[in-house]
Amino acid sequence: MKIFQSGSRRGSRKARLGAALATQLVIGVLGLAMLSAAPAAAATPAACAALQAKYPSLKGKTLTNGVNPHTPGYEALDPNDPSKYVGFDIDLGEAIGDCLGFTVAYKPVTFAALLTTLEAGQADIVISDIYATKERAKAADFVTYLKVYDGVLVAKGNPKKIDGISESMCGTTAAENTGYVEVPLIQALEAKCKTADKPAPEIQLYDNNANCIQAILAGRADTYVNDVNTVDGAVKAYPDKLEKATAVTLPYSVGIAVPRNKTDFRDAVTAALTEIQKAGLQAELMKKWNLPVDQMEAPKLVLAD
Amino acid sequence: MELFFHYLSQPYLLTGIVFTLLITALGLGGGLAMGLVLAGMQLSRFRALAILARAYAVISRGTPLILQMIFCYNALPLIGVKLSAVEAAGLALALNEAPFIAEIIRGNVLGVDRGQVTAGQALGMIPAVVMTYVVAPQAIRSMIPALGNEAVSALKNSSLASVVSVQELTLRSTQLASSTFDFFSVFFASGLMYLVLTGAIAFTQIILEVLLDLDLPTPQARLVRLLPWRRAELAPAASRPPAVRAPVAGAEPLPLAKTPLSIDREKRRAAFADGKLAVEIDALTKSYNGRPVLQQLDLDVRAGEVVALVGPSGSGKSTLLRSINRLEAWDSGTIRVFGRELGTGPNGRILSPREIAGARAGAGVGMVFQSFNLFGHLTAKENVAGPLRWVQRVSRADADRRATELLNRVGLGAHLDSLPRHLSGGQQQRVAIARALAPNPRVLLLDEPTSALDPELVGEVLEVIRRLAVEDGLTMIVSTHQIGFAQEVADTAVCLVDGAIIEKGSANEVLSRPQNPRTAQFLQIMAEEEKAAG
Repeated sequence: MKIFQSGSRRGSRKARLGAALATQLVIGVLGLAMLSAAPAAAATPAACAALQAKYPSLKGKTLTNGVNPHTPGYEALDPNDPSKYVGFDIDLGEAIGDCLGFTVAYKPVTFAALLTTLEAGQADIVISDIYATKERAKAADFVTYLKVYDGVLVAKGNPKKIDGISESMCGTTAAENTGYVEVPLIQALEAKCKTADKPAPEIQLYDNNANCIQAILAGRADTYVNDVNTVDGAVKAYPDKLEKATAVTLPYSVGIAVPRNKTDFRDAVTAALTEIQKAGLQAELMKKWNLPVDQMEAPKLVLAD
Repeated sequence: MELFFHYLSQPYLLTGIVFTLLITALGLGGGLAMGLVLAGMQLSRFRALAILARAYAVISRGTPLILQMIFCYNALPLIGVKLSAVEAAGLALALNEAPFIAEIIRGNVLGVDRGQVTAGQALGMIPAVVMTYVVAPQAIRSMIPALGNEAVSALKNSSLASVVSVQELTLRSTQLASSTFDFFSVFFASGLMYLVLTGAIAFTQIILEVLLDLDLPTPQARLVRLLPWRRAELAPAASRPPAVRAPVAGAEPLPLAKTPLSIDREKRRAAFADGKLAVEIDALTKSYNGRPVLQQLDLDVRAGEVVALVGPSGSGKSTLLRSINRLEAWDSGTIRVFGRELGTGPNGRILSPREIAGARAGAGVGMVFQSFNLFGHLTAKENVAGPLRWVQRVSRADADRRATELLNRVGLGAHLDSLPRHLSGGQQQRVAIARALAPNPRVLLLDEPTSALDPELVGEVLEVIRRLAVEDGLTMIVSTHQIGFAQEVADTAVCLVDGAIIEKGSANEVLSRPQNPRTAQFLQIMAEEEKAAG
């Protein structure tokens, strides 16, 4: 099943990127005849050949990308062909794989299980719209690639007048995913609400994006604060029932998680990401998935203290 | 609706079913294998094994399956066991199912009538043979409904494999719902798929139950039972035995005409007085929870002698008989059957159950029980022929011939293929006697053979026993409340009170002119009861 998935993933990527760049760039991808002949590999930045020479142990390998595929736009099934995962994170992971010469297989898990799966060695890398926090860095090293903008999803008309992670959320119910960074931020409102003599916000924990959206549709929750693009996607799917109240910035970045003890691999991923950004490939992918390009962030490491 | 059908036929979800079935099969198969081991450990006579199995059950049943899945998937790699997601989920499900299946197996094994197990032991079957031919066939029949339940529950539990990334139906449905935002169509489609799968299990269960139904002997009858409009016939089938009993009892081919019992008692006594000792009991003592059951009991029975054990209920008659066959252990004293001690080895070592079984078969002690203890799943013929094949290793043809001959002799030639539950009590007891006689025992122990019978059925059984004494000269020890019968058939009568022999002598003497006042008192009560009943 794994093989089938990654194979067809690659197929869709090929079609997407087209034969844009020169073929001499693929010299490094020697082991994969299929790829070297394919136009998709043409997009691989030139510097990748050098990286493959520097990190030869990755070449020809199949690495497993742990994802929580419930976030359309970042990672979700292709509705037209559910045997494939699609989204910006998926494309970025494939691009890193192309650059370093490894193939990507996928392992779908709940959001809360992403880092434990990585720690248990059941995944080699996690690229799944996960925010790189110091807390999470205790479980994995992060290489960042996007700034975080959150959207505040509410029912159409915003009946509770929620205007962000603020006093306006006192006495309301927020749906969140287990393990999301928004959870402690909303919990922290409790003191503020108490001072204003209002009840603290209530949090319902779910294990994927879709369930959070359903909670608002079913009237169980008043708001769902998450990545702005995810929120926009939900509004687009239910324009008569949902709306984005506002966007907020969070002091985080989205990061690629890699195992803590594998600095070599971390360096390779960082270098590949840098090349991908330099070559304009990340911006191209962001445009393709309707992410604002100014969200892009140069790779930096978020590590445990 | 259109979307619903679209998802219903989507290969992506249909492939998910394959994973769902794979995990379920691994879980059930592994659970069944481990459940058998666990049940065996719990039923074993070694306490440590039972405790170990119990401890495992407490842990496994006491923790949620979802945690066990995550444990197998994420924790086992830390000790170097890296299983694939499917293997980890299958293992977790098997580990979780095992104690539940073990309890089903154990409960149904214990549910098989203990008397049948005792009868198997008395026939010299080793524990494995008792388990294979007596307990398992009956336990398996009765555990099918519970196992069907377990299979359905395992199928549904397989959905938890989604937490460890197995691409099964639930995981695929939730992912598909996330990417399409079509929650209801997707979930209704996968719900229907689950329903079809669990429906298939339920149907398989019905088929198995019908195929194993002993009351439907022919394949045609079994097929017919599967037709829904014929289900109404279930009830009459269940209440068949009483209906069968009356007419058949009247058509007994067993001639009840009394053989002229001109037994020359003196001649008989003279015949076996110098004969070999068949059973020697020396100072047999046994107590239950400090209460004495047998007290320093001595008794010799010579080959060819018929001994009647009489005495009030609870006086130790059954215990004495069961001890002779080593179905009971005792505290001190010895029992020898034709010079051989059952249950102890050459240097006094206590034998294992398996070795005791061999000794029983070798000593040639047959036993007939108050409650018949026929093997409920076997026909009359198989009840007799089966043990011959399993213990004495007689060929099928010879065993069948012997069974037919013996059943004819006890007047049941017309009931060779009847199940015990379709026979009257008297008929069942006659089958039991035939079964006990099949291996040609040298001593036959009969434990109140007519006490569980309706009064009108007592005669036919007594007649069979009478013939064994007169025609075959078989050594017999019979415990009975039928004083008249004892007087007529037995050479010697032994009166047992509180585990001690209070009077012993020629049956005629003891039963008509008792010397001990307590014997007299007991016989008096018996006579009054007989009068009241008659």
